[in-house]
Amino acid sequence: MRATLFIAGRQLWHRKLLNGIAVLGVMLGVLTLIAITGIMRGFQTKFLDTILQISPHVVVFDKTLGDTTPIVDQLLGGPSATAIVRQTSTDRQQRIARPTETVRAMRALEGVAAVAPLVVGSAVASAGSKETPVELRGIDPEVQDVVTPLRSMVVDGQLGGLTGAVDGAMIGHQLADLLGVKVGDNLSCASALGDRVVLRVVAIFETGVAALDKGRIYVATRRAQTILGRGDAIDRIELRLVDPDHAPAVTAQLEALFHYDAESWQETNASMLGVFDQQNMITGLIIGAVLLVGGFGILSIQIMIVLEKRRDIALLKSVGYGSRDVLAIFLTEGAVIAVLGAALGAAAGHFVLAGMRLLKSASGMGYSKPSTFAIYERPIVYVLAFGFAVGVGLLASLVPAWRASRVEPVDVLRGT
Amino acid sequence: MTSAIAAAAAPAAALAAPSLEARALVRDLGDEVKTRILHGIDLAIAPGEFVSVTGPSGSGKSTLLYLLGALDRPTSGDVLIEGVSTVGLDDRARGALRGERLGFVFQFHFLLPEFTALENVIIPMLRRRDIPRADARARALAVLDQLGIGELGGRRPTQLSGGQQQRVSIARAIAHGPRILLADEPTGNLDSAAGEAVLGIFETLVRDRGMTIVMVTHEPSYARRAQREIRLRDGRIVEIATGAPATVTTR
Ligand SMILES: Nc1ncnc2c1ncn2[C@@H]1O[C@H](COP(=O)(O)OP(=O)(O)OP(=O)(O)O)[C@@H](O)[C@H]1O
Ligand SMILES: [Mg+2]
Repeated sequence: MRATLFIAGRQLWHRKLLNGIAVLGVMLGVLTLIAITGIMRGFQTKFLDTILQISPHVVVFDKTLGDTTPIVDQLLGGPSATAIVRQTSTDRQQRIARPTETVRAMRALEGVAAVAPLVVGSAVASAGSKETPVELRGIDPEVQDVVTPLRSMVVDGQLGGLTGAVDGAMIGHQLADLLGVKVGDNLSCASALGDRVVLRVVAIFETGVAALDKGRIYVATRRAQTILGRGDAIDRIELRLVDPDHAPAVTAQLEALFHYDAESWQETNASMLGVFDQQNMITGLIIGAVLLVGGFGILSIQIMIVLEKRRDIALLKSVGYGSRDVLAIFLTEGAVIAVLGAALGAAAGHFVLAGMRLLKSASGMGYSKPSTFAIYERPIVYVLAFGFAVGVGLLASLVPAWRASRVEPVDVLRGT
Repeated sequence: MTSAIAAAAAPAAALAAPSLEARALVRDLGDEVKTRILHGIDLAIAPGEFVSVTGPSGSGKSTLLYLLGALDRPTSGDVLIEGVSTVGLDDRARGALRGERLGFVFQFHFLLPEFTALENVIIPMLRRRDIPRADARARALAVLDQLGIGELGGRRPTQLSGGQQQRVSIARAIAHGPRILLADEPTGNLDSAAGEAVLGIFETLVRDRGMTIVMVTHEPSYARRAQREIRLRDGRIVEIATGAPATVTTR
């Protein structure tokens, strides 16, 4: 053992340049792994966090699946009037039947944290001479705030104003700019089927998502029903779950129980998640390739060194060192290169990520507002990087070390 | 086959088992076409004996020495090192046997370039658990001193002359205290003064330490200074001459 370390250490030091290059290769691999993972994952995590904060985990739409009896009807005993109406309906507008009971039943489900019924429709908002299409949402602000935190996005005014004495509206800050209104100003809102209603701006919100900040108006449920001409219908239910990862399972359960089309946030954002998967695959390939190059660096350098050291190996063996000792010496050298490279790479990676954190991202990724780079940095990434590097290093030095251990002293002696 | 005269040079040793013994040693070499390099060598070398091996180039001298030193395996026959049969030993056991009981000196010094002269002498002892590191260092220093290169211990092999390098390699071969030294043309790369120094060292080792030395050489004058000269031709012992100075004086 002492001999192995002594000899391996000195041989490494003696070939500082070559072994330094090998260390550099491993270091670059680990640095790449940590930096790319930190940036990609950071962006993805931030993106998902934003999505999970501003969107519901599950949305139930007013579209029925099949014609079996929904659970609410079963619970209430026998087909209800609404069910019969729906079966024979010529009503163009679908609706969620018995909203109060349905919402209550959903609230009782395991893993559901909050349930908010709402009305959604297209309308046109105008103030003075300005006019713009908007997505109108009728909500119960207190309930909705639990499902998709609204209050935290209010930058001016009060969310509670929605249900106040006046017909309140909460609008996105870009919409406010567009229409030239502030808190306390009036705007009017109308749709093809309903009545024109004058609303008072009671709050202005900012989500960071341009599409919402520019085109969404929140009003109280009743007000939305009036504007959209929906009577007292509810056409959407949003849910917040205890664990967002369970959304697909809860969605399936909701569809089975209530027979309404439901969509998890993963489905809603499937295309984005697919892009992430592809990003991760490409990143994985790049990292793998860089680490492989590092491994080949060790491999070729070690093969060269072993060839050059045949005489020394023969001498060691003739004075009593065994194949295992020789194997241990060269494996130790590979391991030291790998560990050193991994440690340096991890340190460099940490510095790069720390530096990235200080930089403002220029474009804000074109979707959310400009902000600092989100960086993903977890011990597990370092542990994995380290493990990979040492594994690759050991694997790469296995072949040369094994060849070294096979050197027969007489072959070398006869050759000289 | 130990002569009475040689026995007189090392009286106590003559009674003991041979230091080295070859029994019907056969060695074939070659990958496809096997050539018989050694044709059944029988040989016994007594403790404390200084033997030289001579013969034309290609006669099998090195092959015999590698077999006697358990560096190579015979095609048939056996080699006994201080009474231990090597035929049944695996590589590991043979390595351990070499590391404990034998010392080697080759035509080339085989010093490890990354290490100082002193470290080169220490390295064979490092793998032995029974020799503490401090001991190994002390022994190495003592041996280097003895060989007249005590002040060169801190130098790298490249900073030494050929003769000095060879002395370091002799120090490496004997520092761990083996009783047998095997040397393959140890003076082959040296000028006459350095060669003479090596021979002097060998004679001292035999005289003062009672070491057994087998030395392959091309130099007739060096060969004659051994107690016995084994002459090989085409893989056979053709003659064993006795003619060491010690013998002459005894006569
Ligand atoms: N690997 C091998 N395959 C076949 N024949 C070999 C091999 N190695 C050596 N020989 C042959 O074995 C014979 C003996 O070689 P050896 O090295 O023992 O001779 P030597 O007496 O030491 O010669 P020299 O004085 O030149 O060192 C030579 O004829 C040589 O050609
Ligand atoms: Mg030879």
